[in-house]
Amino acid sequence: MTLDRYTSVFESTKSNISKAIIPLQLVANFPSKVFDWVGMNATSRTKLEQKNVSLEKERLILLGQLQRSAELAAENLRLRQLLNATELLMQSVLVTEVIGVSPNPVDHTVTVDRGTNDDVFVGQPVLDAEGLMGQVVEVFENYSKVLLITDINHALPVQVQRNGLRSIVEGTSDYNEMSLRFVSPTVDIEQGDKLVSSGLGGRFPMGYPVGSVASIHQRPGEKFMEIKVTPSAKLDRSRHLLLVFTLEDGDVTRDLNE
Amino acid sequence: MNSNSTFQSALIMLLGVLILQFIPLYGDWGFWRPNFLLLMMVAWMLYFPDQYGIEFAVIMGILADFIFVSTLGFHILIFSICGLILIFFHRIVVYLQLFHRVTLVLLMILLVEFMCLAIDSSLDKQQSIGGILVLAVISALCWIPLDKFVGHCYSRQK
Repeated sequence: MTLDRYTSVFESTKSNISKAIIPLQLVANFPSKVFDWVGMNATSRTKLEQKNVSLEKERLILLGQLQRSAELAAENLRLRQLLNATELLMQSVLVTEVIGVSPNPVDHTVTVDRGTNDDVFVGQPVLDAEGLMGQVVEVFENYSKVLLITDINHALPVQVQRNGLRSIVEGTSDYNEMSLRFVSPTVDIEQGDKLVSSGLGGRFPMGYPVGSVASIHQRPGEKFMEIKVTPSAKLDRSRHLLLVFTLEDGDVTRDLNE
Repeated sequence: MNSNSTFQSALIMLLGVLILQFIPLYGDWGFWRPNFLLLMMVAWMLYFPDQYGIEFAVIMGILADFIFVSTLGFHILIFSICGLILIFFHRIVVYLQLFHRVTLVLLMILLVEFMCLAIDSSLDKQQSIGGILVLAVISALCWIPLDKFVGHCYSRQK
């Protein structure tokens, strides 16, 4: 136990075993896939038509917003170039599906169906439709393991969207709660404030939604406040995730031109 | 039923148990999922202590350490202690009624959970004590079909 805790002697063995376990996760995931499939096929034609109409409306709204967003991105790029900014980064994404969840409830990791064959790398940020989910910690040929932001071993630099206040959000082993660390009682932070990734540390791209402040509590005599954060991402429900690839300067221009 | 077919039954049960252990469960459901590997070990060691002895407990412990991504040795220690208790008491326990066996399994799960808490706190990991009783009751109930299955293998071998 001491050897494993304080050294990395068994890391490669553990990695090989996790690789061997993945097929079992696939089999264990099969019943939920069958339920999804049955649910999808059992939906009536009228419901499907209604859903189709609402999705079509949603698509139109999003397309409109996207046009504006592309315009803003281009303008942002031009301004950054004017300022000689070095961080000319933009992201492209790859859709992936969750195929397994860690059987240990304290260990918040999921297995996704993309690996080195899809150029996935360790440290790669992972998102869902609502916000930041976590980062890739282990990559195999066709699968990867993602550490979620609610894992007790995960910390993420964030900033308050309203005023840019920087802090660190840590996981608590609860899918619906994280804690904001080292916030002094004098700073300007309110319940409901949105937190986004600050980009500090270089691992996560800047500006992705992380969560919102759920409660602020100050214990008398304590240096820092106890702040609870509700994650934006649906960490225990999302099945389809996005792996973020950061494109360099040249690629940005190409991407925008496209 | 010879020892070879008993081994095959154990292997099939192991596969089933691993799948049950890997079925995605979130939130409190995840915390209340029994440790099926431990339940399987208890069942086999109760009925077949000569074939499935302390070595079996150690192997299941190693497997549990890898599956639960815990510090290597954590589950080996816990499973071995449970194995020793079972070896010590199996002659009495195997002749008890199902209800009494289930009660004993419930007590063993409680012991295991308290051992986990003790080891976790020595490793500076914070664990919650809440829900241990619920987990023990669920585990004891889930143990019944495993007991029936292994009991069936035992009676066939006899």
